[in-house]
Amino acid sequence: MLRFVVRRLMLLVPILLGLSILVFLWIRALPASPAVSLLGERATPESIAQIEEQYGLDEPIHVQYWSYLKTVAQGDLGTTIRSRRPVTDELRERFPATIELTFAALLFAVTLGIPLGFAAAKRYGTWVDHSSLVLSLLGISIPVFFLAILLKYIFAVELGLLPTVGRIDVLIDIEHPTNFYTIDALLAGDLAAFWDVIKHLILPAIALGSIPLAIIARITRASVLDVQNEDYVRTARAKGLAPRTVDARHIFRNALLPIMTIIGLQAGLLLSGAVLTETVFAFPGMGSWLVEAIRQRDYPILQGGILFVSLVFVLVNLIVDVSYALINPRIRVS
Amino acid sequence: MSVAQAEAREIQLEAPSGLWSEAWRRLRSNPGAIVGFVIVTVFLFAALFAPLIAPEDPRSGDLDRLGGVCCPGPSADYWFGVDQQGRDVFSRVVYGARFSLLIGIVSVAVGLSVGLVLGAAAGYLGGWVDSAIMRMCDIMLSIPGLLLAIGLVAILGQGIWQIMIAVGVTQIPIFARLLRGSILAARESDYVLAARSVGVRGRSILASHIMPNAMSPVIVQGTLALATAIIDVAGLGFLGLGPQDPATPEWGTMLTDTTRYLQSAPHLALIPGAAIVISVLGFNLIGDGMREALDPRFRGRA
Repeated sequence: MLRFVVRRLMLLVPILLGLSILVFLWIRALPASPAVSLLGERATPESIAQIEEQYGLDEPIHVQYWSYLKTVAQGDLGTTIRSRRPVTDELRERFPATIELTFAALLFAVTLGIPLGFAAAKRYGTWVDHSSLVLSLLGISIPVFFLAILLKYIFAVELGLLPTVGRIDVLIDIEHPTNFYTIDALLAGDLAAFWDVIKHLILPAIALGSIPLAIIARITRASVLDVQNEDYVRTARAKGLAPRTVDARHIFRNALLPIMTIIGLQAGLLLSGAVLTETVFAFPGMGSWLVEAIRQRDYPILQGGILFVSLVFVLVNLIVDVSYALINPRIRVS
Repeated sequence: MSVAQAEAREIQLEAPSGLWSEAWRRLRSNPGAIVGFVIVTVFLFAALFAPLIAPEDPRSGDLDRLGGVCCPGPSADYWFGVDQQGRDVFSRVVYGARFSLLIGIVSVAVGLSVGLVLGAAAGYLGGWVDSAIMRMCDIMLSIPGLLLAIGLVAILGQGIWQIMIAVGVTQIPIFARLLRGSILAARESDYVLAARSVGVRGRSILASHIMPNAMSPVIVQGTLALATAIIDVAGLGFLGLGPQDPATPEWGTMLTDTTRYLQSAPHLALIPGAAIVISVLGFNLIGDGMREALDPRFRGRA
């Protein structure tokens, strides 16, 4: 097992190096030079020359890359153009928001998707099965941002049930030691604030969770269909076990493997893919941060943000692989 | 008549049908795929004959039509209502089909052509070429698709062509991996071994055994990629990274800013959104149908 993990970690090295090269070259491929993008619109030739010397932009490219790699390895992602704060400081505020949202979205997708897929497989070929297929097809055909707009229209504008923007009501004032607002509210012992944070999470979570919901339902259905024709299921039935026991112990447990994998992969995607949902709901997470950055040409944010998000994505996939190998011994051997 | 004779007769009665004609027959009997074909036909029709179908110029409007409110909803004169610039939404949606078709074709063409060349090179040549191409794909896939596209737009600049290319580039590694995998699988398969053992020459093994089998997942993926490309480009358009002229009737761009009018004019968001969903659904239905038709594992299932 340890060997598998080590080998998997070794594979990560070239990917991370390649990623850093790509992000490093990316900022140099932009129409505006890094100095100009740092200074913004007010750049003069003198200030550009000064910045280029200060940041070593007049040195050979491999020297520049090496020093870039060194600063990034020290956890320094540079300074934003607009707020002049370290990128990592803003990251620390934004990332917990996206983790909260991802968690809520996955919760929604899993609690609905697995029962839906299971029910469809158990009633294979009936209307339950057909409608679950149609639903999951719709789920992957609807653009996330359009679903977000629809939800906003129905639940916020027409019914007035839920808030439409932000993470918490502006009038609620609590401390944010962790930047996970749910945890912050509980730490402050303010249940009203906690409920408000939850209410702000509901609609974005449903919008973001729709695609994973469709995919989880599809995989669950296919996986249960595969497993329920296995010999051990027939044996379990033949020895007279109650159908519910067979479902729970023999079918569901064995069908769970591919489902777990897909949930892990979706987690990685969601952590990085909340760009559109966050924009519609003005949810101050990673996604809306990057979109604001590109609108304002705040390239240091984009450079650091894309690198960070990709790193998280790769690491989550690694965790999925390793946990998959933990559950399934066949992977470790091959 | 002995059993063997009867069987022999049955075998003869069965017309020798090729991979494609059989797949086509199965596709035609799939209700989902038929619905998909109908949707895509309507979509193609709207895209090709937009100037004949649309009653008005999609770019120019008449503010007098607003009558001081935003915005008049669907009526007998304006089937899908009027937008905030006094333009006919129906005409804009019809012309939008052109953009979405163009978007789908251009981005998939970029992803497919580059991806196929890379995938075929990796699959055939193997060795260091293979490792270099595959590591490059791994790196590209480690950046989430939409972010990669946003990063590319930052380099290429804003615009409809730029976002099509950006979305196409994000699809390159997917096609490259797919074709490489299926070429490798086909090369090791029993039917290629069989063809080789009866003395079929290398080139015709490649042309008539490896490629047709390696291509079928690529065709399925290509159809599904059309759907993804339409969604992704609409997403970039919605973020305001699309056409620089906001009058361009692109469905995603049409959705930008409509959230402000959700209360008074929900049709501004609902109609272009529905157009995206329906056309994407059409391509997904065809793609799913093709997967079932071309995948041997589904054969024999009704």
